[in-house]
Amino acid sequence: MKVSRTWLQKHFKEPLPDTAALAEALTFHAFEIEEYDEDMLDVKVLPDRAAYALSHRGIAGELSAILNIPLSYDQFAEPAPSFPTTDKLEVTGDTAYVIRHTGALIRGVKVGPSPDWLKQSLESAGQRSINNVVDALNCVMLAMGQPSGAFDAGKLETDNGVVRIDIREARAGEKIKVLTGEEYELAPGMYVFTDAVGGGLLDIAGIKGGLASGVTEATTDLFVSAGTYTPELIRRASQSLKLFTDASMRYQNRPSPELTAYGMKHLIDLITSVAGGELVGVVDFYPSPEATPSPVRLTVGTINEKLGSSFSKEEILDAFQRLNLTVEQEGSAFIVTPPFVRRDIVIPEDLVEEVGRILGYDRVLPVELPPAPEAPDLARHCGIERVKDVLIERGFTEISTPSFAATGDILLANPLQSEKPYLRADLAGNMKEAIARAALVAPRVLGPTPDVRLFEIGTVFEKDGERLSLALGYAPVVGKKKAVLADILAELSILLNLTGSPDESVLELPLGEADLEKLGAEYEPRKVSLTKYKPFSVYPFATRDIAVWTPEGTEESEVLALILKEAGDLLARIDQFDRFEKEGKISFAFRLVFESFEKTLADTDLDPIMERITTALNGREGWQVR
Amino acid sequence: MPPGRLHPISVAIREIADIFGAMGFSLKYGPELDDDWHNFTALNVPEHHPARDMQDTFWTKEQDPRVPRTHTTSVSIRCLEEMARTGQTSMRAIAPAKVFRNEATDMTHEAQFYQLDGFAVGPDITLAHLKGTFDRFYREYFGPDAQVRFRPSFFPFTEPSVEVDMWFQAPGKEGRWLEMAGAGMLHPNVLRNAGLDPDKVQGFAFGGGIERLLMVKYGIPDVRLFHNGETRFVHGFEETTI
Repeated sequence: MKVSRTWLQKHFKEPLPDTAALAEALTFHAFEIEEYDEDMLDVKVLPDRAAYALSHRGIAGELSAILNIPLSYDQFAEPAPSFPTTDKLEVTGDTAYVIRHTGALIRGVKVGPSPDWLKQSLESAGQRSINNVVDALNCVMLAMGQPSGAFDAGKLETDNGVVRIDIREARAGEKIKVLTGEEYELAPGMYVFTDAVGGGLLDIAGIKGGLASGVTEATTDLFVSAGTYTPELIRRASQSLKLFTDASMRYQNRPSPELTAYGMKHLIDLITSVAGGELVGVVDFYPSPEATPSPVRLTVGTINEKLGSSFSKEEILDAFQRLNLTVEQEGSAFIVTPPFVRRDIVIPEDLVEEVGRILGYDRVLPVELPPAPEAPDLARHCGIERVKDVLIERGFTEISTPSFAATGDILLANPLQSEKPYLRADLAGNMKEAIARAALVAPRVLGPTPDVRLFEIGTVFEKDGERLSLALGYAPVVGKKKAVLADILAELSILLNLTGSPDESVLELPLGEADLEKLGAEYEPRKVSLTKYKPFSVYPFATRDIAVWTPEGTEESEVLALILKEAGDLLARIDQFDRFEKEGKISFAFRLVFESFEKTLADTDLDPIMERITTALNGREGWQVR
Repeated sequence: MPPGRLHPISVAIREIADIFGAMGFSLKYGPELDDDWHNFTALNVPEHHPARDMQDTFWTKEQDPRVPRTHTTSVSIRCLEEMARTGQTSMRAIAPAKVFRNEATDMTHEAQFYQLDGFAVGPDITLAHLKGTFDRFYREYFGPDAQVRFRPSFFPFTEPSVEVDMWFQAPGKEGRWLEMAGAGMLHPNVLRNAGLDPDKVQGFAFGGGIERLLMVKYGIPDVRLFHNGETRFVHGFEETTI
């Protein structure tokens, strides 16, 4: 949520520090800050605190506690506002959905542009000004977290001068065009405001207002609505309509039903001040009032035993008081009663968190765990790693591939890619692709090599369950095909007591059936350290071979040094692949692999390099490139 | 034939198993395709709760949809259930394994990645022990200069909840704080859901990406390099046996 420092300042007499300091304070004591500028802070309020903190009042309360500066005025400390009632408005609702609804009739407003201060307030919190009435609703939501709606009462039919609103479950196929113009088809499980006299739909309750009864320049009479709805139902409706609004987001986090009265007071004051008009009266539908938050009992010991801290009784009391919690003390125990907006404080652990974050987690010092009562069980891990070590010793390289596949037994309802909607039922499919690619890049990765060998250990998903699988891949690069897979199978059969049958390039074994715990019981996996990662180019590499006759006694390193001096930055690797002696001379043959991070290399890039190398080699006494 | 190479994820898991093993943590396994209970409900994330939005989730198209686990906290809760079944009063375990999130991929997001989840439960395990555990893990994994700090956060399965940041200075670069993991003290509802008595045992739990550890340690620029079967990636490091 975007909050404005200027707006927050209205809650304090003392000047607030700059936004950088506010960001720091919130980051270490309350919320992550997505970004901030000179006046605005984008605060990431998570679901646990969304009921009270998605508002300037909520963030001001946090800052008051963190920075230990008092709020200049706290509207929530006042008794709930009361209003004149009216018989010109009746509101009824389905109690499965409506926890509380506070409605008002206001007559004689003049809809028009908002005053500058209101426009600026909204803009400072990242919202656009629409008109004075709509702006008043948005302002109250941003100020205290209570969403609301306003409807053109002139467009509602009346029964003997009485406006009747019913909040009921939608019927299959009912349609409503919302304020932004889109039409939604509703279904049971969703709830709507209806004109109980005329029958029209006014609003997808708690989510978005309807266009037909929306406030326009011509509106003079308003039905103003502030409610609290069953969070699970509003969340489901929002999800099935794929319609997520500032209101639905707040409602699904169960704000206190007490808030509608405070919100309505603010709404009436603000609307009549910026749009004129006169309150006819307010009707409150609150069939089963909810209990206010119950006191939570805990001790200094509870807090320090969870946090591993040594906070004093005085510090803890101070934290509670800064958070505006009512505290009674009973011996070493605190009995803490949260204000009505803090419905997140229910169990002692909730208060442990309040103390920890307000006093600061930097004061929780690291402590090593006591010795474990039992030796750790790493047997299965060591068994799996043993299999890997055996394969690596035989020249196999481990790969990891995606678990999503084009075919399989288990279909995903919401795949990321429509062409891979299944969970893989084997590793062999991915292995076939990987081994083919590995053979293509073998000169770059391995240099001159007779073949490439890969393996993967991973989970596969079949109708009757998931299991751990091992896939091995083999592809010849030069020379004749060898029985590499048959040989390794013979070895693994003994080690793992598994059987399988390799095809040309892939062997898959049900590794989960092996006794991996036994295999790993006495085994310590090879420890490996890696250097910094060296990226490869996305452009294809190119190879060039060069062979040179040299006089007797020439070392490979001499030839290599000369080539490296001339080869330049494009050389990615060089391997000697041949050496023989004949008639007092030695022939060295090297394979050079070139790669650019900027482009695909062409002959015109490489020929000059090879010419330079050839010239340099031929320049030596008795050396001759073949 | 020269020896092959171990995938960097395996290299990391071996180091992690060593470091945590020395602190008494076992390495545990659980299903990758799990039920709603172990992935969400037992972890204090009821159906239709906004906290479900915190992790974009894949579901299977089945009569009773299952979930490719969004975290290996599903393994931790299974361990806690085992603890309750066998009447143990303390346990420590990690689960470094594959998880799934249904989110658009980019340089720092993958739909499948490895998570290091873990917990320590006993009669008197505290948040200070969590800090001590991470302090030691990061110093042993990243080097003696690594430091840990906590920031407040929210996870449904922990209360209090914290974000774990690490101070890291890459060679030749300025040091900075990096967001590494989420953690906290196990929520009493989670202990109860596992069949344990929160008045008798308490403990911490944590979870963070393993690719993230590797990316920081070895300067790997893109998380999408890890799981596409690319041998040029696996060979992009010089490897030495210690």
